[in-house]
Amino acid sequence: MKAIFLMRFLLILIFTVPLFTLINPNLSKAQESSFVVGQVFEVATNNPLPGANVYWESQPQKGVVTDLEGNFSLQKVDLPSKLIVSYIGFEESIRVINQKDLSKPLRFFLQESQMALEEVIIRDRRPDENVKSMDMGKSVVAIETIKNIPALFGEVDLLRSLQLLPGVQTAGEGTTGLFVRGGSADQNLIQIDGAPVYNPSHFFGFFSVFNPDALSGVEFYKGNIPSNFGGRISSVIDISLKEGNYEKVRGEGGIGTISSRLTVDGPLFSENSSFVISGRRTYADMFLRLSSDPEINSNDLYFYDLSGKFTFKLGEKDKLSVSSYYGSDFLGLSSQFGLGWNNWVTSITWNRNISERLFFDLNAYHSAYQYNVNFDDPDNGFKWGNRLSESGVKAEWNFNVSENTLINWGVHSQLYNFAPISLDPAPGSAIEPIATNPRNGMQNNVFIGAATDVTDRFRVDAGLRWAIFQLHGRGVDYIYEGGIPSPDVAITDSLVFSSFQKIKGFNGFEPRLSFRYLIQDDLSIKASYNRNFQYLQVASSSSAGLPIDRWILAGTYVPPIRGDQVSVGMFKNLEGNKWEVSGELYYKDIKNIIDLRQGANILFTDNVESEILTGDGYAYGLELLLRKNTGKTTGWLSYTYSRTWRQIDGISFDQWYNPRFDRPHDLTLVLNHEFNKRWSAGLTFVYTTGQAVTFPVGTYEVDNQRLPLYSGLRNDDRFPDYHRMDASVTWKNVDKGRKWKGSWNFSIYNLYGRKNPFAYQFTEIFNDQINFTPSQTNIVESRRPGVVMTYLFTFLPSVTYNFNF
Amino acid sequence: MKNIIYIFIALIFFSCQEEVVLELKESGQIPVIEGVWTNSAGLNQVHVSYSRDYYSEEPNKVINDAEVFILNLNNGQRISFQFNEQLLSYLPANNRTGRLGEIYELHVIIEDKEYIAQGTMLEPPTLDSLTFEYKEERVFREEGYYLTLYGKIPFVEQNNYRMKIVRNDTLLNRRSDYLLFDDTFGTSILDRGFELGGFPFNEGDRVRLELYRLNDDAYQYMSQLVNLLFNDGGLFSPPPQNPVSNIKPADGSGQVLGYFMVSPFVSANVNIIEDDSD
Repeated sequence: MKAIFLMRFLLILIFTVPLFTLINPNLSKAQESSFVVGQVFEVATNNPLPGANVYWESQPQKGVVTDLEGNFSLQKVDLPSKLIVSYIGFEESIRVINQKDLSKPLRFFLQESQMALEEVIIRDRRPDENVKSMDMGKSVVAIETIKNIPALFGEVDLLRSLQLLPGVQTAGEGTTGLFVRGGSADQNLIQIDGAPVYNPSHFFGFFSVFNPDALSGVEFYKGNIPSNFGGRISSVIDISLKEGNYEKVRGEGGIGTISSRLTVDGPLFSENSSFVISGRRTYADMFLRLSSDPEINSNDLYFYDLSGKFTFKLGEKDKLSVSSYYGSDFLGLSSQFGLGWNNWVTSITWNRNISERLFFDLNAYHSAYQYNVNFDDPDNGFKWGNRLSESGVKAEWNFNVSENTLINWGVHSQLYNFAPISLDPAPGSAIEPIATNPRNGMQNNVFIGAATDVTDRFRVDAGLRWAIFQLHGRGVDYIYEGGIPSPDVAITDSLVFSSFQKIKGFNGFEPRLSFRYLIQDDLSIKASYNRNFQYLQVASSSSAGLPIDRWILAGTYVPPIRGDQVSVGMFKNLEGNKWEVSGELYYKDIKNIIDLRQGANILFTDNVESEILTGDGYAYGLELLLRKNTGKTTGWLSYTYSRTWRQIDGISFDQWYNPRFDRPHDLTLVLNHEFNKRWSAGLTFVYTTGQAVTFPVGTYEVDNQRLPLYSGLRNDDRFPDYHRMDASVTWKNVDKGRKWKGSWNFSIYNLYGRKNPFAYQFTEIFNDQINFTPSQTNIVESRRPGVVMTYLFTFLPSVTYNFNF
Repeated sequence: MKNIIYIFIALIFFSCQEEVVLELKESGQIPVIEGVWTNSAGLNQVHVSYSRDYYSEEPNKVINDAEVFILNLNNGQRISFQFNEQLLSYLPANNRTGRLGEIYELHVIIEDKEYIAQGTMLEPPTLDSLTFEYKEERVFREEGYYLTLYGKIPFVEQNNYRMKIVRNDTLLNRRSDYLLFDDTFGTSILDRGFELGGFPFNEGDRVRLELYRLNDDAYQYMSQLVNLLFNDGGLFSPPPQNPVSNIKPADGSGQVLGYFMVSPFVSANVNIIEDDSD
């Protein structure tokens, strides 16, 4: 009954808001009136400045914010009048606007404020955005903020920084997987310049693939995901690669404990084109070579990232950018065994300002991920690999109907190609080759969204996304006896499909709706509802992602995941936007999540569906955030209480259970303090409830082995609480006008050396030695049951030299 | 894959380990039944015991008053088992054995509660020869004598095998000594010669290879048992679970651990003695 009411309510809103906009006489009048349009730039780089505030001196409450291209459009007042353009950390620009100025677009150039040197700026948004924007469960994280957070090995890491935000959990010590509001790691859409990244991690998840120097910003949606994004149910992490400056060649980089990086940017052919090229590489393998032990010095272990972005201004109204990212990992053991994986993401974007109020963006992309495993052995050698790719085109229009009403709409087509898993034995090998069948799919999405002020205080944002997904050939679908796949039932037939022949189709409407009511200028309440469908996911039962994880598409036996989220929140700013306080409550309902049967082996099978169990889940939580944005000391304190539950027939006696990342209490403190122009420091403290895990309740002996006995309830136990403090100090050379500017960063991960468990192994301990392995020469003298804890990273110092020129 | 990850972690992240004592929940005693039924005399037995608390250093409490028998479902014949005090297991009366192609049902009655499991004695593959060759040390391989097994697997289904290695009358039974294989990588493995890569032997060793062809459920049990032995409870492991037993309570309620393996038995022997004649 509730669901019917909710749906009806949503439909009314979705279809009446645009209508209301059109028939509202005031708004119609606004459309007829003139606007002042223009663009704001940063004077030092000539780059557009997004997020700058533009308002009339006489009406400071009715300002607008520049878009990503620095554009603004503000309703005219009686002229002449003073127009003010401001941006935190920059000198204010005030210009008297006359009637004649309206005939052409205005251009404002803001200069970095001298005062800004005294402040640490931790965000790129307007001061009152916390209260007045429609955003719920959204974080805009400035790259500078991320760079100021103490980092593991000194490696500034985007995804690890996002884990410090409320509502985001980690799988475990050191890993970069994100578990957002009860969702799994594969339920996050992580994209660079509009192109998805399928494996965003290096070194088995301990580092993310994003070189911070190459990025311009990150928008993280965990609650109200706008209708122009879709395809994952839990979050969107929208990352933009940095655009090169148009003035002169500049560079920045760093030499760190485990890697070095360099980024160079500047004009390309003229002042209308720019480039940025960025690279990073680890050198762990170089340290390995220093070892005298041939078993160590013959190993390879590295990752690297390369990215580039080329931007061309094709006139006043058009801009074209081409960006590409390539990242690769390799682990080689004595040139006999090799495991490598890589992402290659390429994106082309065309931005066009069709008119003063209508903007068009066209984005085409291709993202490919592959892994390869080679084992060079004359008897049992093999080459094993897999590749998956997504290609897509997205066209989006944004129309500023009036000062307070925005409409956007667009289409998005996606083509998935999951190549067969292939395993080719070496010549003479005793094993036979394996090749599964490919899986292909197409997804077409249409979306529309509209936001308007219903009253001065009440604003509504409604959106609708319609996704049509089709699993198609080339491929094979299997028919199982009784119609339900299982390892225990026979396959009665297999159907072969030719290219683009439909195997199975789904479609679903995904409504998005949010409200904001401004109680006072610095106090608002917001609410949102969001539905998302997800047509692909990782089939895995472990908590951390692996390079060889198998992605599967929705199909005959695997329905798409459906996620519904409702959230409400209260947002308050204090002391002139110096402090932000917010509290958000959310409830998320998830249908058709999967897990694996016990003992499932999905790496080489063509019948993944017979190894999968399907069920439902839900999550809820309260997220509290106190944030200080300006002054010498900045940062945030957040507390989250959240729970996550799943129910999948065949697991935990079919009862509800907590996934490993259900960690009810989560407290995070992030502090940055600038002592003076030379010295600054960062401090991070994290406390969370321990991971939900399964411990034994007894033991028994079978087949000459002593086995731990489990109750059958999944994750009914807990690791001890997790807590850790990290600290860093940065020393900058005083700017004496030299071109080369350097700084040193000293950081310590796990300052007080807390032994947070990474794993507990329930095992027999021989001769009272935890690493004793019995053999013909290692004679067993005693054996007893024991628990061995593995922990990582106690008091890990690192140093990084950063520079720019 | 998981081992590779841990090599990686050990190399790079200087992971540390220490023994800890965790407070664990306790379960009551659960019966553990381990039944082996082959076509070879001397191997067949049923061991019945109870589970115990995790930290207990006592041996499993053996149940010596259970009623144990196996039914041949093809002819209704009942084979009774008697408890043997030396072996602490139940042995078949008159040292009887199973026959190929027959379906057997194990019955174990403990304090009036009956547990049942079934299995079929499948045809065994053919073993032709077992050879050995000395190999120098290289990466992933110690120096020593390595065995290669030749034979034929002529079956298109139910290809689930377990190989046991007995060196100088001692069964190799570390977790890394389990050798389980199915037909994922084909069935021509014995035709081409199956080299036992992880098992170096010394000159003078007497080696016996035992090959068992298991029913699906018993093979799954063994696979899950090995996975559990390697499960470290970490992020890269699936949540640990008891291997799914193919033994069920007759009334459908309650819990039982262990497995019933019905299998043909074939073996091959070799004495590693270098031929110095040339």
